[in-house]
Amino acid sequence: MGLTSGLARLARRAPVPVFPVVGAGGRRAATVLPTLDGIEVVTTPRAAVVLLVVGRVTRALLAPVLALHDQLPGPRAAVQWRVDGGGDGDGDDLAGVLPGLVAAPPGDGEQLRRLMGELVSGARTSSPPALPPVEPAAWRGVGPYGQGGTGMTGGVPYGRPMPGWADDRDGLKLDQLKLRLGPAFPPFPPGLVLDLEVQGDVLQTAAVGDNPFVSWPGDPPVTVTDSVEFAAARTEAVAVADLELARARHHLVWLAGALRHHGLAARGERVLRLASGLTIGDAAAVQALARSVVRSRSLAWATDGVGVMSGDGLPAGPVARAAGDVRDARVADDAYRDLGFEPVTDAGGDARARLRQRVTEVVQALELAERCGDRRREPGGAVEGPRGTLAAGEGESTPSAALLERLPDLLAGQEWGDAVTTVVSLDLDLEEAALGAGAPVGT
Amino acid sequence: MAAFGAALTVVVAGAVAVLVTRWLRLALGPGALTPPEQAPFLGGGSVETHAWSRYHVRYYAMALLFLAFDMEMVFMYPWAVVFVEEGVIALMEMLMFITILVLGILYAWRERALGWA
Repeated sequence: MGLTSGLARLARRAPVPVFPVVGAGGRRAATVLPTLDGIEVVTTPRAAVVLLVVGRVTRALLAPVLALHDQLPGPRAAVQWRVDGGGDGDGDDLAGVLPGLVAAPPGDGEQLRRLMGELVSGARTSSPPALPPVEPAAWRGVGPYGQGGTGMTGGVPYGRPMPGWADDRDGLKLDQLKLRLGPAFPPFPPGLVLDLEVQGDVLQTAAVGDNPFVSWPGDPPVTVTDSVEFAAARTEAVAVADLELARARHHLVWLAGALRHHGLAARGERVLRLASGLTIGDAAAVQALARSVVRSRSLAWATDGVGVMSGDGLPAGPVARAAGDVRDARVADDAYRDLGFEPVTDAGGDARARLRQRVTEVVQALELAERCGDRRREPGGAVEGPRGTLAAGEGESTPSAALLERLPDLLAGQEWGDAVTTVVSLDLDLEEAALGAGAPVGT
Repeated sequence: MAAFGAALTVVVAGAVAVLVTRWLRLALGPGALTPPEQAPFLGGGSVETHAWSRYHVRYYAMALLFLAFDMEMVFMYPWAVVFVEEGVIALMEMLMFITILVLGILYAWRERALGWA
């Protein structure tokens, strides 16, 4: 028995490190991933063996997915979970670019484990690099043949200009690093691309890049797939209890992600398990969870005073309600009449208030679901979705789109950790933001 | 001659360690990486400017304070040795010394030198 086969046997027993990339229509299918047995969701492709693409890869996502694929150290494998309604096959040429791509139904953890077993035993070869082996930007010195230059001032190292100078907030003149982050940066919502200028850990400017879910001419149209019950409620009759349970489930899934971001991954996993089988009978468990989240010292310390959003122009929804704005489409909704519904609000409008607001709304949603019996909501009128009020008509601005517009001003000047916490606390959905948006410029 | 033998042993052991690690890397590690495989992880994004950049070291004040107290500890070792002989006088002297240093910390604290930003 050689050293390699001994190590391979050990490696087969370890959980499969998976780096997920969420494409169009894949957000809901991807939420089950951390709860699968023998699967470990990792936050960087360097720690992963399997690149898992969930949903359809839009044209704008193709290049980043290939770059991420190559960043997995070998042996590696690429898997795509095909999702219904994500436009299966249409406009997705990932299989043509990644020859070893394995297609699988969503939620199949067994297959991921089998793949890892084949990889480490040598039965399956590592997926070859998808990008050509050329420097993205070659070295250029100061001389005519690209030679020369001394130290940090010589030439253009690897084709990238040296950082420019700018005043920093401490009265020093320091370098600015320009970078593009996303669309698959784990704490961010899938698809969010930020063009950043950072000085050390301070974000000087932030701009939101093109939304990869805005469909190009000839591509399948975007549909909201994350909060699908609420989009459906605009056109068909649904049970109020189902709607409120879906709201509670949505906020719990968000809470699981927020807990993971704040370093409480195991706790987040338990919340996710609670969310996946949530019924009206879970009210006691949810109340206990809400109490512990609101009382948590570490969460309070990480979110207090971070990313304050208040004032006019906020879209009606949990973010506005966390700043004391009482607007809620359920107040004027016939289906909620004489249920005694009153919107809950919080004060402060910071990330901590938004956390409190959402867990309070989970408790409230379960109470409503219990009280409303089998009452149904008739289609028509604005629907209060988990991210905010969805206008009755198609093509109108959505809460996520309105919040995205305010993101650059909100992030400028924040330290890195606070900036990520702010983005997480807003619960953005890029697919929802893409609704009603035209084709991207420069196609 | 014995000293020369010891030096030779160190050199040989070092060379063997280097060769073994190189062999392990060739036997177990991945082959040569293409430039895209070596690119830094930015969630699918990339950098525009070079990463040679100067930034504000925010723990600077804390690092200086740590050094100051580290040196103070060095001073306390000889003091501990003569403490029993000198008795109460040594205790008073050390208390005065520590008090002055603590005043320095309080001053730095008031000037917000201990905050991250």
